[in-house]
Amino acid sequence: MESIKLRKITSLWILIVLVLFIVNIVLGILMRLNQGEIIHQSPITFYANMTTHGLTQIGIWFVAGMAAVNYLLQRYVKTSYSANVVAMVLTVIGILMLWSSTYIGKFHAGWTFLYPLPLRIMWAKWATPMFFGSILVMGVGWLTWSVSMMTQLLKKYPLTRALAWQHFKKNPSTQTPPFILITMITLIGIITCLLGAVLLLAMYSAEYFSNGTFVNDALLMKNLTFFFGHTIANEMLYLGLAVIYELFPEVGGRPKWKTTWYVALAWNCTLVFILTAFFHHLYMDFVQPVGFQIVGQIASYMASLPAAGVTVFSVLVAVYRTPIKWSLTNLLFFIGVAGWVIGGLGAVIDVTITNNFVLHNTLWVPAHFHTYNALGNVLFSLAFFHWFSIQFTGGIHKEKFTKLILTLLLIGGIGFLLAFYIGGAESIPRRYSNYPAEFPMAAPLAAGAALFATIYLIAILIFFFNISKRCLNVLFSPS
Amino acid sequence: MFKRIILSFIAGSFFYGTAAFGQVNPADWKEEANIYEKVYDVSITSNKGINLTFSQLYNEKPVLLALIFTRCSGICNPFLLQLKENLQFKSDTGGFTVLVLSFDPRDTREDMILLSERLGLKNNKQWFFATTGDIEKMNQSVGFNPVWDSARSQYDHDAFLVGINKEGYITKKLLGLRDKHELGLLISSVHDIFSPSYRLPNNNQLFSCFNYNPETGKNAPGLGLLFLALPAIIALLLVLGISYNVRHKQV
Repeated sequence: MESIKLRKITSLWILIVLVLFIVNIVLGILMRLNQGEIIHQSPITFYANMTTHGLTQIGIWFVAGMAAVNYLLQRYVKTSYSANVVAMVLTVIGILMLWSSTYIGKFHAGWTFLYPLPLRIMWAKWATPMFFGSILVMGVGWLTWSVSMMTQLLKKYPLTRALAWQHFKKNPSTQTPPFILITMITLIGIITCLLGAVLLLAMYSAEYFSNGTFVNDALLMKNLTFFFGHTIANEMLYLGLAVIYELFPEVGGRPKWKTTWYVALAWNCTLVFILTAFFHHLYMDFVQPVGFQIVGQIASYMASLPAAGVTVFSVLVAVYRTPIKWSLTNLLFFIGVAGWVIGGLGAVIDVTITNNFVLHNTLWVPAHFHTYNALGNVLFSLAFFHWFSIQFTGGIHKEKFTKLILTLLLIGGIGFLLAFYIGGAESIPRRYSNYPAEFPMAAPLAAGAALFATIYLIAILIFFFNISKRCLNVLFSPS
Repeated sequence: MFKRIILSFIAGSFFYGTAAFGQVNPADWKEEANIYEKVYDVSITSNKGINLTFSQLYNEKPVLLALIFTRCSGICNPFLLQLKENLQFKSDTGGFTVLVLSFDPRDTREDMILLSERLGLKNNKQWFFATTGDIEKMNQSVGFNPVWDSARSQYDHDAFLVGINKEGYITKKLLGLRDKHELGLLISSVHDIFSPSYRLPNNNQLFSCFNYNPETGKNAPGLGLLFLALPAIIALLLVLGISYNVRHKQV
């Protein structure tokens, strides 16, 4: 079922994502060097870098997950090539608009662009609408892609079957592949949060163009911002997990995983609870009723723990005392699951209300989300990229530098993350371009983090040069 | 009760007087101005003859600063009486100093002693009555703008209480005669204790999650909550719509 065009566009996605990722890591290293007082950036440059780094990172790993899922979905249903192209064109335009707003227009309100920061113009006046335009353009592309994929899925699988509800009964007559279940659950979540983004942008635009005759409610705007931001950051992780469920047993030469009642239940829980987990971002907002805060804590547990439980169980059962064909793909998946679980535990610690009083807006927050991204979701996508790149070598490819890549990724990643965790435990605040004297450990930790992040970057560069030639071959091969 | 009626009468007379002779524009007085700015470190002389800097005072304990002048025929006396009375009912009276500072250069140490005696606070260790030779800078740093009215030989001004924490930052200001609850919030603020504040209803704000009613002090759910649920509702309808549509076409 797989088409040549799909191969080519997937190759292009991989190359775009990796190039942007490398640039983005450099931005991150520059920020940590500045915090470490090794280099000196103006606060405007620092916050422009922070805004660009955050949104680009979300964008590229979201499309990486989508491209992987789209590619694998072709095994089950025919997907739309046009929707894939539209998403790519709009993503590239969106990224260019975003970078223009931050580097030419000097927009630097942070990737969370919390209300009312974007409307307090401290940059070129056009940069605010350009920034919102970039999110709108990317959002429209991704919404089109998601709706298109979901429509194709629903053509083959009725909704209840796509959600694997038949598995709640004994001896279900039909099977729903786990990949289909997780993809469906994730696409519904993605569509919901992208609609939230549309509403958020509409509210911002209404205030921006009303000349003061319309004012937004700060609480509503913060809720909508995290409804979109938190949800999409989690859904992109689930895209990576869908890929694991499909490829991990296959690459290891094991039978495909099957959906059971507890897998179906865990992922259906995720669908419901991930949409309300974002309330944990508003613990410090005293106007939010206490009930919402409690919902936020419970939903955060319920959205993550069941899905993590069944996934970790499945992965461990698949490898425990079992002959496995280990490759870079498998190892990246395996380490990625460990990173996801460790980052997830960091998140669960943070979303517990009593802990959040201590950890809120400290370096603990970037610690946990960098863990389940840099050593979790990114590795899921890198595993897919590697697996994809060797599909078309005719079985002839020599695996180079596998041990070196993994060693550098682990040393660089763990060292870089430890600096965040120690900083969080020391109550060092996040989002500071320069640390005041009250935090003597902050600058040395940041400098150390920059060093380890450079080691991580070297691993990514080796990985990139290893697979880029194969991807370029796929891209430019005659049909 | 009788004292309250008298206080209200005096305060009311003052406000009507101000409106009639009005040289002070209330719009120029903003409680939210200067918050979290550092107060000017002025040199002061207390009624006990002690010379010290303001920072020496607030570094020891947070300060409630009342700016008055002794020849005031209007708000100053009722303001200080009310402050004294309200503080009597506060349990946390040992945790801060009340500095009554004259903003009139004519006031002397003797005038301040007389004022403290009149209020029955001469030997109260919590209350500090003082003058300064540098009142202009102090007024500027706290955003206090008394206007001299030569016809009445009086300053046009309002009752003005400023909360200053131990680091010398202005944490809250109260303009006019205010009740015990608001005095309590000011005292909390000088101890760096968070006090929630609410945005008042605004005609330009259509989609609040909750609408605060200042009369009842309660929140009622607003239209914004519906907006919060809207993406999920639309997504659900979209999924059901697509599902129905593709099934319908296949049939």
